[in-house]
Amino acid sequence: MHLAVVGKGGAGKSVIAGTLARVLARRGRRVLALDSDMLPGLTFSLGADAPPAPPLLDAAERGEDGRWRLKRGVGPVRAVQRYATDAPDGVRLLQAGKVGPDGLAGIQPALQAYFRVIHRLAHSRAFAEWAIVGDLPGGPRQAAFGWAPYAETFLLVVEPTAQSLLAARRIAGVASQRRGSPVGVVANKVRDDADITRIEQFLGARVAAAVPADAAVVSAERTGAALLDHAPRSPAAAAVAELADRVEAGSLAS
Amino acid sequence: MKIVVAGKGGAGKTTVSGTLARSLAQKGGDVLALDCDANPMLGVSLGLGMERTDLLVGVRQAVDAGEAEHQPTVEGMIESFGADAPDGVRLVVASRIDRIDPGCP
Repeated sequence: MHLAVVGKGGAGKSVIAGTLARVLARRGRRVLALDSDMLPGLTFSLGADAPPAPPLLDAAERGEDGRWRLKRGVGPVRAVQRYATDAPDGVRLLQAGKVGPDGLAGIQPALQAYFRVIHRLAHSRAFAEWAIVGDLPGGPRQAAFGWAPYAETFLLVVEPTAQSLLAARRIAGVASQRRGSPVGVVANKVRDDADITRIEQFLGARVAAAVPADAAVVSAERTGAALLDHAPRSPAAAAVAELADRVEAGSLAS
Repeated sequence: MKIVVAGKGGAGKTTVSGTLARSLAQKGGDVLALDCDANPMLGVSLGLGMERTDLLVGVRQAVDAGEAEHQPTVEGMIESFGADAPDGVRLVVASRIDRIDPGCP
């Protein structure tokens, strides 16, 4: 059960990824949340504390040939033990790193380490039984350039707006080029059945799960709280629990 | 006057950019709207519509395909690869990612 969540910026990837990760953890699964966004969305939606500096800064070094490599002894298991942080409900959170005052240059070793860790993790038997929920930044860039090698399934979050639909169609095209990884469409901020029909017609794919437009999500995001802490009985939280049912049943991707 | 609009995904960059570009054009300015998002969507907020926006070619992809031989200047590229949007705004898409590719866009 290794998922990567993709979609346009603002579609609700982080809220769905963070809530889904915690729901799966509450059901007794070992969950690794992977955050390759340089902005702090997933930290908030998990209800986790942001580390002051990217823990992975310490995990990579430059070899004599000038190329980045993981430090000796740092494999995927060690990386998750040492560099992942604890999020609520027992979720382990591994972050690529957040842009600080020095921009991307300041977190370069962490990004290099993260990229190498997730590529090794994708082939590691140690995580075969884990649920992995990866949150990618908005747009097609990371999906196209190998930032979700672990993804057996892509969750494509789409809201019923022109921009989100267009972005979703492009991202689905990019994601499906990767060894045919299936794409499960998650409709978000849905107001009525017509919204779902519109998404299905535009993408030419079935909507696997629908999350309603919910004021509880808006107020959770305003306060920077996790949806499960802020409004655990909200319609959106219930919808993500149904999404988790489908993930566990393997009935997500079309 | 050269303005860059930045912000988190979903914050409203594209809507602000498109509306600003058309407002400036309505006041009589020559406006070049440059879409630098790898997922270019500025055409939608300028009013070109979804399908026309989706058909715009990225300059980067055109140059990669060898089109720079025919249009070696910036002005030529704006002329060749740009599109006319409402109120006289000229729209150019810098790059768009549609394929899994080596290299960096």
